[in-house]
Amino acid sequence: MSEFEKEKELKKLLEDKFGADITAVDVRRARRVWLEAAPGKLIEILEFLKTAGYDHLSTITGFDEGENLGAFYHATDTHIIATIKVKTPLASPRLPTVTGIFPSAISYERELEDLLGIEVAGLPPGRRYPLSDDFPKGQYPLRKSWKTADFQAAVKAAKTTEAK
Amino acid sequence: MSKITIPLGPQHPALKEPENFMLVLEGEQIENATINLGYNHRGMEKAAEERTFLQNLYLIERVCGICSHSHTTCYVTNVEEAAKAEVPERALAIRTLIGELERVHSHLLWIGVAGYEMGFETLFMYTWRDREQVLDCLEMLSGNRVHYSINTIGGVRRDVTAEQKVEVLKRIGNLEERTQYYIKVALEEPTIRARTANVGKLPYEVAIERGAVGPTTRASGVKRDVRKDDPYLLYDKLDFSLITHDTCDVFGRLVVRALELVESYKLIRQILNYLPEGPIAVKVPPRIAPAEVLNRYEAPRGEDIHYLKTNGTDKPERLKVRAPTLANLQSVAYMLEGGWLADVPLVIAAIDPCMSCTDRAIVYDRKTDKKQVYDWEDLRKLGIEAYKRKGVDFRKL
Repeated sequence: MSEFEKEKELKKLLEDKFGADITAVDVRRARRVWLEAAPGKLIEILEFLKTAGYDHLSTITGFDEGENLGAFYHATDTHIIATIKVKTPLASPRLPTVTGIFPSAISYERELEDLLGIEVAGLPPGRRYPLSDDFPKGQYPLRKSWKTADFQAAVKAAKTTEAK
Repeated sequence: MSKITIPLGPQHPALKEPENFMLVLEGEQIENATINLGYNHRGMEKAAEERTFLQNLYLIERVCGICSHSHTTCYVTNVEEAAKAEVPERALAIRTLIGELERVHSHLLWIGVAGYEMGFETLFMYTWRDREQVLDCLEMLSGNRVHYSINTIGGVRRDVTAEQKVEVLKRIGNLEERTQYYIKVALEEPTIRARTANVGKLPYEVAIERGAVGPTTRASGVKRDVRKDDPYLLYDKLDFSLITHDTCDVFGRLVVRALELVESYKLIRQILNYLPEGPIAVKVPPRIAPAEVLNRYEAPRGEDIHYLKTNGTDKPERLKVRAPTLANLQSVAYMLEGGWLADVPLVIAAIDPCMSCTDRAIVYDRKTDKKQVYDWEDLRKLGIEAYKRKGVDFRKL
């Protein structure tokens, strides 16, 4: 019995099904499988994983890599976590919603919108989350270009004006 | 009858936790519930990027006032995996021990809150009194009641001595006896059953569909527990059962937590009797080569997941934390819909949303400019004296 049998089985399953649409499929350690895909294929892959028993979306992690923004989708069958990396250009960041497959993703997707400024196409309208209502629009704290010090200075300046 | 929409919260809808529920009511019945969150956003993920790995340990400890050990353990496991550090087994055992003591304290706290929300305040007072026993264990082992700070990168900060082991075992014995009584109360007391049965229903399929975690999902019959499914620390070496219940309501959530307490006592005994000899920590270099890691932890409230990316410096490139309550809140909306307005606090409390607690008092005397710290014994003495002045002597009662 070879090591990581189930993980390799998942890798083969995904490679057979999606072929060149997925890249960098990697079994990094026991119960952790990572792969990269184009945003257009995301829904299809998650649907496939869900029917294969990966019916729990643990969370979505947004990231900023400079030229690209993006997200990791951590789907799990409770034992193995399959993490799908999806990139989207910084100039027009846009990802499809996965709430059709995982309804619980709604708060994770709102986080992508609020903290990284990635437009999630198809997300139902609703209140922003997690930033407060009076947080300035168009500022995305988790982007690398956003600096806490600048924001603190702006808040301080606003308070001085208010007092006058 | 026309429908009305009422806001519940953000000022503590059940526990002292800011969250807002917009409830559409048809008479007393809830037709639709929308959850609004974010009142407590502290920007920790951003803050983590500006701090070193060691500084972050103290930041992450403060994600939650109750699962403080859950979050730091998940975080240090990630850091150690990224740094490829070999953590000594004794350190892992101590982490597991604190983790289980934390689960006991959290579940006892929840049973009290549930008792309070169902109007059974005696249960609240009983469990919170007993919870002091486990808090004493935690204080004895770590020096702190709530933010234990036992973890450090590469191991733990304090060792467990033979005397401490005896003391912890003694208290666990007391607690086990009390817990057996709570289980009896939960199963036989008609008021509890009447108040919790068929309240806040979450069927098996919906629990999976909405991604519920922890005791909330296990009370709907879903066999999911990170300790079993994706073992971390020493859980693959320990013997314990995965508790589920099939009533899918608040009653089930009560039973699951009460029975999980017994499993935790079993685990605590196993770890204390196993404790391998050896060092309790290894040195980990401050700078960590680029890596990406993902780890989970079964917090008292359910699956906690952390993602960490390192970039060769002493600070993380990205740290993501998803606490269990966020995963469970999607199920709360379902549980509320179709239910009654009066059940709302109980249903919300049943997923055990987080809150912070501490009961040490510092008294500052303005006249003499002196500070005095009162501990539990002092406060107790003061309380007895204050009642004595009013003519009530507890010692005679």
